[in-house]
Amino acid sequence: MQEEVINLIGSTLEIETKDITNKTNLVKDLDLESLDLVDLVVAFEEKYNIKILDQDIKNFQTVQDIVNYLEKNV
Amino acid sequence: MYKLFIKKTKDSKSFLESILNKYHIKNDICYNEYGKPYIKGNPIYFNISHSKEYTVIAISDQEIGVDIEHLTYKKKLLNKIANEEEIKAIKNEHDWTKLWVKKESYVKYLGMGLSYGLKNVDTINNHNFRVKKYKKYYICVYKEK
Repeated sequence: MQEEVINLIGSTLEIETKDITNKTNLVKDLDLESLDLVDLVVAFEEKYNIKILDQDIKNFQTVQDIVNYLEKNV
Repeated sequence: MYKLFIKKTKDSKSFLESILNKYHIKNDICYNEYGKPYIKGNPIYFNISHSKEYTVIAISDQEIGVDIEHLTYKKKLLNKIANEEEIKAIKNEHDWTKLWVKKESYVKYLGMGLSYGLKNVDTINNHNFRVKKYKKYYICVYKEK
């Protein structure tokens, strides 16, 4: 799951993924803005056919947070 | 009343410090549960946004939200962020970017960010959005009249 998440982050935002780990912070390390986060949420919703609630987005601080969320909800 | 500062920088912290120093405001910044910064014990409100190489800071005597975004058109996100009426009005990158900065400035005004749900922001009937174009960017300030 972690590898899938990292690959989807890379392909959606068109960024290099070699330095991204489960500990990578989306805002502090990858410098993501709100638009990037919404972009990612829509990409995850499409890939896993799920609905991510708006209030859950603020919990996506690190790659691991996304992995945990998807493992619980997919 | 509000004042808007725009600078070609990614260092929003130093930019904010320079503005606070200019107005002799003590730099005692705290954050609410959604991450919105505010100055403890001071009736000065501010909000920060950045996009690519630009940072904007809005300062006001009442709660305020600001957003800047480089011209973009992400049609794919429309169903996530906009209602049917808004979607019908989006024809190009200018419309899209204006819609985005309006919605973002509002949720930042509320201090809730994306948790509020961009789709819940009504940009049709609310007339408190102040949108301006700056180079290849749009900036929106939201405050109640």
